[in-house]
This record gives sequence, C-alpha cells and structure tokens, in this order.
Amino acid sequence: MSRILALAEKELLQIRRDHVLPRLIVLLPSLMLFLFGYAINFTLKNIPVAVHDAAQDRISKTLLWELTKEGTFRLALQAQSREEVVAALDRGRARVGLVVPAGALERVRRGESVGLEIYVDGTDPNFAFQAQAALRRVIQEVNARILVGRALAGERVLPPLSPEIHTLYNPENKTAWFMIPGILGLVLTAFTVLLTALAIVREAESRMMESLLASPLRPYEMVLGKVLPNLFIAFGVALLVLALGHFVFGVPVRGSLSLLLLAMFLFVLGSLAAGVLISTVARTQVQAVFGTYAYVLPTIVLSGFVFPIEGMPRLFQALSYLVPARYLIEVLRGVMLKGVGLQVVWPHLLALALFSALVLLLASARFQRQVAV
Amino acid sequence: MDRVSLEVRPGEVFGLLGPNGAGKTTLVRILSGVLRPDEGRALVVGLDVGREPYRVKALIGYATQEQSLYRDLSVEENLLFRARLYRPKEAKILAAEALARFGLAPYAKTLAGHLSGGWRQRLALAQAVVHRPQVLFLDEPTTGLDPLSRRGIWGLIHQEAARGAAVLVTTHYMDEAERCHRLALLFAGRVLAVGTPQELKALARERARFLFAPGFALEAATSLPGVLEAWPSGEGVRLIARKDFQMGVGFQEVEPSLEDVFALLTKEAL
Repeated sequence: MSRILALAEKELLQIRRDHVLPRLIVLLPSLMLFLFGYAINFTLKNIPVAVHDAAQDRISKTLLWELTKEGTFRLALQAQSREEVVAALDRGRARVGLVVPAGALERVRRGESVGLEIYVDGTDPNFAFQAQAALRRVIQEVNARILVGRALAGERVLPPLSPEIHTLYNPENKTAWFMIPGILGLVLTAFTVLLTALAIVREAESRMMESLLASPLRPYEMVLGKVLPNLFIAFGVALLVLALGHFVFGVPVRGSLSLLLLAMFLFVLGSLAAGVLISTVARTQVQAVFGTYAYVLPTIVLSGFVFPIEGMPRLFQALSYLVPARYLIEVLRGVMLKGVGLQVVWPHLLALALFSALVLLLASARFQRQVAV
Repeated sequence: MDRVSLEVRPGEVFGLLGPNGAGKTTLVRILSGVLRPDEGRALVVGLDVGREPYRVKALIGYATQEQSLYRDLSVEENLLFRARLYRPKEAKILAAEALARFGLAPYAKTLAGHLSGGWRQRLALAQAVVHRPQVLFLDEPTTGLDPLSRRGIWGLIHQEAARGAAVLVTTHYMDEAERCHRLALLFAGRVLAVGTPQELKALARERARFLFAPGFALEAATSLPGVLEAWPSGEGVRLIARKDFQMGVGFQEVEPSLEDVFALLTKEAL
C-alpha cells in the first residue's frame, strides 16, 4: 500500500511539475462545459426562410406574421420567383423556402384551398423533421384563424391552406447523408493536427532534434518532411470515408469531386499548420495530445458537424466563423448533397485559404524562432 | 564561453577535456551551428558558422552526447536516412560503406533499439561520419560504455582521423585524453592550456612538483607548507606542491598524470 502511495504521489508531483498539463487539465473540462452547456441547443430558432410571396394579400401577410412571430423562423430573403427561393436554399442562405401563389385571398374567399409550396433543407434529417412540424403548426394556426371567421359566417369548412412540402437534398431523411460529410471534416481535423503535433514532438523528445539541426536540413524542409506523410495519410483516410459513405451508405456526390478535393486540401493545409503550431508549444507527447484535444473540441461543437449552428446563442454563432471546419463541412455538404458548384462555395473556399495561410505563417514563424535557438 | 580559440588539423584527434559544466558541449553546439554565440564568430574550415551555417553543416559530422538514432529503425535504415540528409545521390553507397567500415554489416537488419550499448554507440558514430565529413565533432562518445567497447570506439575514432578528418572529441575521462594527439583543457568556459599530452605534463612539471608520500596521513600532508593539493592514494598520499616545496623523508617524485595536470591548472585558475 505504501509503495502504491509512493508511486501515486510521484505521479502527481510529475503532473504538477509539467508546465502545460495542469493548465490543460483545468481548461479542458471548463471548455467542454462552456461549449456543450451553452452552444448546443437542439430546439431550433431563427431558421432562415426565403419567401416568394406572389399573393401579397391579407392571407400571405398573416401567414408570414405567424411564421416569424415566435422566433422559430426568420425572414431571410424576399424572393421574386420560385427559382430564387430554391437557389437561396442551395446557397445555404435559407433553410426553408415558401412560395405563396398569386390570388390566395380570392381563392380562400371562393372556398378553394390554396397550395403552399414549401421547401425544406433536408441535409440534416433532424432539422427537417423539426422544421416541418413547426411549419405545419404555423399553417394550422393560420387555417384556424381563417376558419373561425368563416364558421361564424356559417360557411363550408375546409382547411384553406394546404402545404405541399418538398424535402430537398436528402428526401429519404438518411442520417448518414448528413453525418458522413461531417465525419470527413472531423477525420481530416483530428488526423492531421494530432499526427503532425505528435510527429514533431516525438522527434524532440527522442533527442534527435539536435542531430537534425546540425545537419544541412533547413527548417522548412523539416516541417514539410514531417507534414507530407500526414497529408497523405489524412487524404487516404478521407478518401476511404468518402468511398465507404458513397458505396455503403449511398451518400451521393452530386457536385464535382475535384471541388471536394480542393476544399479538403485547403483545409488539411491549415490543420497541418495547426499541428506544427501545437508542437511548438507542447514539450511532450502527452501535452501534444491534450493540446490537440483543446483544438478539436471546439471544432466538433462549433463546426455544425452535428449540432445546428442556428440553435446557438449569438456569441457562439459568431465564434463558429473562427472554426475552419465549419467552412469545410459547408462545402462538403453543399457539393455532395446539394450538388452546388464553385459559384456557390467560393466564399467558403476563400475562408479556408485565408485560415490556412494565416496558421501557416504563424506556425512557420514560431517554428523558425524555436529552431534558431 | 570566453574567447575560446582552438585549431584542429586534418588527421588529428583533438581532445576537449574538462569537467561537467566546463562548456564542452556548448562549444561543440556553437561550432556545429546548432547554437548561436552571444557574440563573436565561430570558424570551421575557414567558414563563418553564423554566416554560412548550411555550408558548414554539410561539411561536418556531429555525434551528440545522447545517442541520436531511431530505435524503431534498423541499423541500415538509420544510416541510410542520415546519408540522405547530406548526400542523397550517393546515400546507398555511403551507407553500405559505413556498415562495412564500422563492422555493422551483420546487424544491418537489426533494429537500433535491440543493439547492446556498445554497438548502439558504434552505430551513432557511424551515423555521424556516414557522409565522410571533413570535420567531426564527438560529444562524449564513450560515456557509459564498458572498457572493451570504449577501446573499440577509440579505434574507430582514429580510423576516421586517418581518413583525413579533423576530429574534435570531448571527454572527461583522463585515460581517454591520453589517446588524443592534442588536448585543450577547458574549465569554466575558458581554455587553460593546449598541447600534446606530453607537452601538458612537461608544462605541469615546470610549475609544480608531483609527489607520493607513502604511509602519510592525509591531514598531515595537507598541512605541510607549499602543498597545493593532496589526496589519498593506496598506501599513502599523493601531493601536488609548489616548486620550492621541501620534500619530507620518504617522499617520491612521480610522473604527473593528465589528471594531475588538470588538478594543478584548475587550482591555478581558481
């Protein structure tokens, strides 16, 4: 027993003496609480809606008012045509589309039903279900209000507004279709950052660094040499996930494959650089693992991988723009499920490129400084 | 380090002798371009290490104090990797050559981590010279080895010098220092003396007397006027004393060892 205590006390002493680990041990759970406690909210709010209101009458006004009054939906775009509505969904500017046909009020007066065209972004089946349910509730509400008036007038009672809901992109509500692009993003993050940070720290820990520094190997050669194998591994794993997703789970690749690869490449570049950055801070492999965890955690929560960004408080929505995986996952879902092209995803690609360039600069500056003792 | 100037000639094994913390490793790290000096220049093969670090690095071989080899790679893979860092085109030939030169051929496929200490050190040395450097820095190449392995390593060091390399080797073993062509005594970042082992001993004999007092007690010997240093040795006491020291009865003059020289010079430096 006393021997066990001796060993246990020594372990604690070593952890305390570590410069980075104790801080991470406190920081990580706090970060987790903060992220999972505040950011994740499965009840939807602020769902952006694109509306083409061809009626512009009392019926459509009432409908829009009912739709947005509780904060579940918000009007993101007043479209001029059905095509524009669908395009807004393609671009991710809206996640629900609504088309109110012309002459809605006349039809209701004549006792005819009005067909509402509704488009729901089905990328995330969970989101699609909730959005549809919320939409039906709103329409029922409007119907009830119309009917109350007419019933009092002693007229025939038929629900006037009849929604025709189209689930786009993932009509069969397959969860895998939603998850696999996200998993791709996660795999690319975790593998590249962790492998790179570990590879460099391992070199330093094994005392090989001194010999490498005394050799004609330039610092940039050292970084590239360390990073390239991880690039290959990460891409190999990503392609495997992609292939499994496609052939086993039937996830479509509707857009261009090369666009997918380009986005993945830009993203991986930044992640590798982030790995180098972590390695300049971490002295030991344990620190590198924890450091990577601190990097990957916000990525999981804030990238929209499973947790809808729309449901998050404003602060976290803003923070999510700092998470590069968000852009990658947008591109992956857009290209794979929606089949959109460069003209739609270019802002995301630009964001990825900027992020990668920034981290690359930062990492090489820090690495240079560290190597030039 | 304080104004250190040393000259190591091609074909020469030059020893840097000093206690732990004297600055041996620091000096080697500066010369190999791993560490930047606060001020001043380091010249290797006539090249300024600070200005042209990569030209210098291509010409030197450096065996670090802690064996730098990949334990999960085989002997051959370790050598090939090092050779490729310096001379990628001839790497295969160089690695094969080093395997033969250092007697490592039978272990070519063995993982470095599975080698015994002596053989691992042999590999570390082979790695440092696989690219046939003109200048070789060896930082305590025999620390922790048994006497037989140490002899083997020193044979190899002289083999490299015979090839024409200028070898700078650090050590704190006095018996190893005897194996060097020339030596520098380093203490607290300064060079106390430079010369062949014989020259250093002659220098010491000019400045002090080295004696053995059989049957003498240490306390009695230390209290004698003119005694600089005394320590027990076998059945008596060894003494280093000033030139004008009056020998007692039974005292014997002895040939100073390098350790004696070192003890005298550090005493003077303090």
